[in-house]
Amino acid sequence: MSFEFLAVDAASPSAGQAPVAHSPMEAQARDAGARFELRDGWNVAVDYGDAAGERAAIETAGAWTDVSQLGKIELQAPASELARVIASAGGGESGGEFGLARRVGGAWWCPLTPQRALAICPASATPALRARLEDAASAAEGFVSVIEVTTLYAALTLSGPAVREIFARFCALDLRSVSTPVHGLRPGSVARTPGLVLRETEDRFLVLFGWALGEYMWTVVADAGERLGARPAGADALAPLDGAAQEADAGA
Amino acid sequence: MSRLPAQPGERIDRESTLTFSFDGRPVAALEGDTIGSALHAAGRRTISRSFKYHRRRGLFCCTGHCPNCLVAVDGAPGVRACVEPVVEGMRVEHLNARPSLEFDVMRATDLFGGPFTPPGFYYKTFIRPRRLWPLYEKFLRHAAGLGVLPRSQDEREWRTEYRRRHADVLVVGGGVAGLAAAAAAAQLGADVVLVDDGPEPGGRLLAEGGAEQARALAQTARTAGVEILVQASALGYYDGLVPVWQGDTLHQVRARRHVFAAGTIEQPLVFSGNDLPGVMLAEGARRLAALYAVRPGERAVLVTTSDRGLEAAAALQAAGVQIVAVADLRSDPRAAAEPLVNAGAELLSGHTIVEAVGRRAVTAAVLAPLEAGGAKRRFSCDVVLVSGGSAPASSLPLQSGARAAYSEQDGHFALGELPEGVHAAGELAGVQGSGAVELSGTLEGTRAAHSLGFGGAQAEQLAADLARRLDGATAERSPVAVPPAVSDAGHGKCFACLCEDVTSKDIGLTVAEGYDSIELSKRYSTVTMGPCQGRMCQLASVRLVGRETGQRPEQVGLTTARPPWTSVPMGALAGRPFEPAKRSAIHSRHRALGANIMWAGDWRRAYHYGDPLQEALSVHRAAGVIDVSTLGKLLLRGPQAGEFLDMMYPNRFSNLAPGRVRYGVMTSDAGRITDDGTICRLDEQSFYVTTTSSGAGAVEQWFSWWLADWRMDVHLTDLTQALCAVNLAGPRAREILSSVTDLDCDPEQFKYLDGRRALVAGVPCLILRIGFVGELGYEIHCPSAHGEHLWDALLEAGGGVGIRPFGLEPQRVLRLQKMHIIVGQDTDSESNPYAAAMPWIVKLDRDENFIGRWALEHQTDREPETRLVGFEMANGAVPTEGSVVLAGGATPAGQVTSARYSPQLEKVIGLAWVPADLATDGAEIVISDAGAKLAARVVTQPFYDPEGAVLRS
Repeated sequence: MSFEFLAVDAASPSAGQAPVAHSPMEAQARDAGARFELRDGWNVAVDYGDAAGERAAIETAGAWTDVSQLGKIELQAPASELARVIASAGGGESGGEFGLARRVGGAWWCPLTPQRALAICPASATPALRARLEDAASAAEGFVSVIEVTTLYAALTLSGPAVREIFARFCALDLRSVSTPVHGLRPGSVARTPGLVLRETEDRFLVLFGWALGEYMWTVVADAGERLGARPAGADALAPLDGAAQEADAGA
Repeated sequence: MSRLPAQPGERIDRESTLTFSFDGRPVAALEGDTIGSALHAAGRRTISRSFKYHRRRGLFCCTGHCPNCLVAVDGAPGVRACVEPVVEGMRVEHLNARPSLEFDVMRATDLFGGPFTPPGFYYKTFIRPRRLWPLYEKFLRHAAGLGVLPRSQDEREWRTEYRRRHADVLVVGGGVAGLAAAAAAAQLGADVVLVDDGPEPGGRLLAEGGAEQARALAQTARTAGVEILVQASALGYYDGLVPVWQGDTLHQVRARRHVFAAGTIEQPLVFSGNDLPGVMLAEGARRLAALYAVRPGERAVLVTTSDRGLEAAAALQAAGVQIVAVADLRSDPRAAAEPLVNAGAELLSGHTIVEAVGRRAVTAAVLAPLEAGGAKRRFSCDVVLVSGGSAPASSLPLQSGARAAYSEQDGHFALGELPEGVHAAGELAGVQGSGAVELSGTLEGTRAAHSLGFGGAQAEQLAADLARRLDGATAERSPVAVPPAVSDAGHGKCFACLCEDVTSKDIGLTVAEGYDSIELSKRYSTVTMGPCQGRMCQLASVRLVGRETGQRPEQVGLTTARPPWTSVPMGALAGRPFEPAKRSAIHSRHRALGANIMWAGDWRRAYHYGDPLQEALSVHRAAGVIDVSTLGKLLLRGPQAGEFLDMMYPNRFSNLAPGRVRYGVMTSDAGRITDDGTICRLDEQSFYVTTTSSGAGAVEQWFSWWLADWRMDVHLTDLTQALCAVNLAGPRAREILSSVTDLDCDPEQFKYLDGRRALVAGVPCLILRIGFVGELGYEIHCPSAHGEHLWDALLEAGGGVGIRPFGLEPQRVLRLQKMHIIVGQDTDSESNPYAAAMPWIVKLDRDENFIGRWALEHQTDREPETRLVGFEMANGAVPTEGSVVLAGGATPAGQVTSARYSPQLEKVIGLAWVPADLATDGAEIVISDAGAKLAARVVTQPFYDPEGAVLRS
């Protein structure tokens, strides 16, 4: 028996109906005026009717973007094997440093414990990455577990100059550059729920949290963000990450 | 109006006028005024009434320390008028006076009740008859307090922001020392936050002609990157976390180093009438004049123990206030008194004040020599300036673990040893003189930053240089007289504590009654427990206790410093609640269907959709579908996964065939039931474990804990939120499922307790053929993102055969018919599988050890006192869950855990713990429910489908 029942992309049209994957924050995004497009099997909020305004908010104030469609794959392996499996799957050769994610091959590689890591990638890349990891796992010594957890974690990208202030309204993690540099990874309490915060660029953070808490988290972020001039932004308002991340790296 | 000509550094804008109301009457103010300064400028001396005796109170400290000017602003009580800025149109009302501020009937307490209202009088006077205490209590509560909260909930609500701020260095206090410390630390690269309770940083400098210097220092700090929070009060020190209350925001500042530079607090003196409007702290009067250009009075008498009071009086005199007399408790006339004497003030060395005279406000002061027997002198005046020395504002460093020691030279408790990571600077640290104070701040800021690695060797050298310069710059300390504990004129009350109206006699009485330590005296008299938190009364109470007990101040000691250091609204501490609510992926569908939503653990669940009984019946007659996404879902993978489960459960799982499902009850070390669920073996090395909804987190932790302890090669992933789950149940369930999947659902191919993977309506699913509700059923698990699609597809497919969604309540009815337990409802912390009618789940015939085995082996030898059984009600009443099962018709011997009316069985059924001897079919039991005794009959087999034929069909 395989684990396809965990894979969103394993859905296929049936009886003339194609299953569409939905974010747990879709209703809130719709209420906020989102326009949706079907992308990689997901109903994605691409904009909120004001793409220019959304980009401006990201540059001058703050914005939050539902990116729950990002693929997430959990790896568990003996500590000695984990880095090898990641490298075999195209995740780069260098070992992960706890507290820092690496951006390799269009994916985030997030070490969670010495035996556990999380890969985050675009929805379109999820099947291929999962396949590469499963291949690498099967060739590894010792038992390696590759589990897709895309729908375990909902995700928001918070971006803009006010983003740390927005976080400060509901999160006690130390997100200053000195503690959480670009690519810094912080597991911890976010709005009193278990969360994982990844600093993608200087002013852009990815937050993972429980799928069932999507509506709650949207409400919390919107409540904090709107008071600080932030607004929801569609997926199209986000700058391509690899370009932005590289710029940040170069700047650092 | 008593406005002075323009003062250097004044905070008011004379071109901009505002109006607010005080007790319904309009009051004119200038932009920049506080409520207190505007009222004083308007000629109002009485602003509020005191806590217990309802005595008139007016401006006293003008720094937000004392309780004398507490008012209600726009309905919110407890606002200090002396520091609260005027806002156009604000509604200000006095506190503690009825029917009016000028005529307060409770003033009778002061006039007649003094002898009858000593400390603890409410316990003494109102003790008999005891039955009347509720009445007394109501009266006392009505009479006491510091204001009344608005009755309307809307008026009581306001939004509180929480802001978490991490920093390298937190500086508390925005005076010279604090600003210098902050700037120094920031210039070395540290991330610094400075908090100050004033409207702008600068501290005493602002009122002492140093406004420009203060602003320059603040600008230096800002340029260095310091975040300055003004009108922000540090509330306490909680293991490094310092909450800071600012307007409507509670900053939770977590810093690695703390520099306290809160300065010192000018102290009052204890004498007769020392609370009369017109008696003011000398520096308070100076602030009133310097910052708001308000004349405290026309003719002033100064009483001082140090140069501090003389300097304040000289400034007031320069501003136009006539100083008619100076009583200096020191025997040596000081140079600082010369300007006052030259201007006509009479200097009385070695004198103090014994009485402030006046009815509504001060009209005269009576001065007397400190030596007994000297002649008293009476001076006509309308303001008495008091400067009784200073006390370091040391509460926060003391809360952090610092020590304080009594300094005879300074007449107060000075900070001593500081804990690691805590620094003190400026006057708080005992440094005097403007230059030295600034150096002290720079030094401590440098030290704090350097200790964090900023500045390297250069910073170390800088700190050493600063320390040397500070040694050289420390000014000669001007002498300070230690005042007597009280200067009693023989009549009138001498207040040690203005907040709680505690007099010197009260302190004497507490000691006489045996409360002779400072901590006991505090608790009995409530001295230092009011809004000022000891700022004005700690030192006075120490002296008074010392006088009564014959101890020196260092022997009396200080009370323990505790947060909050500053008055703070309860709403600020309660904050804006976060209520993390989990919702299944289908939640919006439940809403659309009009479901009654309720909390179930931390989930929001559909309780029913309007008609729970019909929902239950539809499951029996056609099909129903329920969202069970809340079930815990754990994935266990690894070579030892089966072995691990064998050790976690009393039954075996390592022998479970792939594609099969088995029920499991988890027990604790003591053999008590802790959770239950199903386990499906996915492949040789993978198991899919479901748990109860409420137990998911605990089971995940339990598994993680044992996995770490046993170091087994098993990987655990909590998939609870990743997967949506629905239970399709009913006689038409197979038909419905078959219509949306290619899976062969023939009962021979997909048997009861089988687990299959298949596409359902195009969605990848794991399907478990199990039946919690007692009908043919399929529990279908799919990625949460496809939950709505699956739900819609099933409802659509079943539409033609009468499918309907059912909620938690009908599910409870259905499972009760099968006597399927709900762990935590039908079991408690003492329930074991034997007593819970599940002995078959415990496999003691296997070799492996498992958690709870030892306890369960022992329990096989014992007959449980009670057993879990089913029951049918004789008269159709539904007993309350939790009602008592009586043994012999009288003795409580068990309890009802579940009870429902079953529309399918058309009777009331339930589960109950009953005495073991009654746990037999047909036994009669009596249930006591709210006084009624209800007859019921015991049933030990499931009420519905006892053979399980329907489940297996």
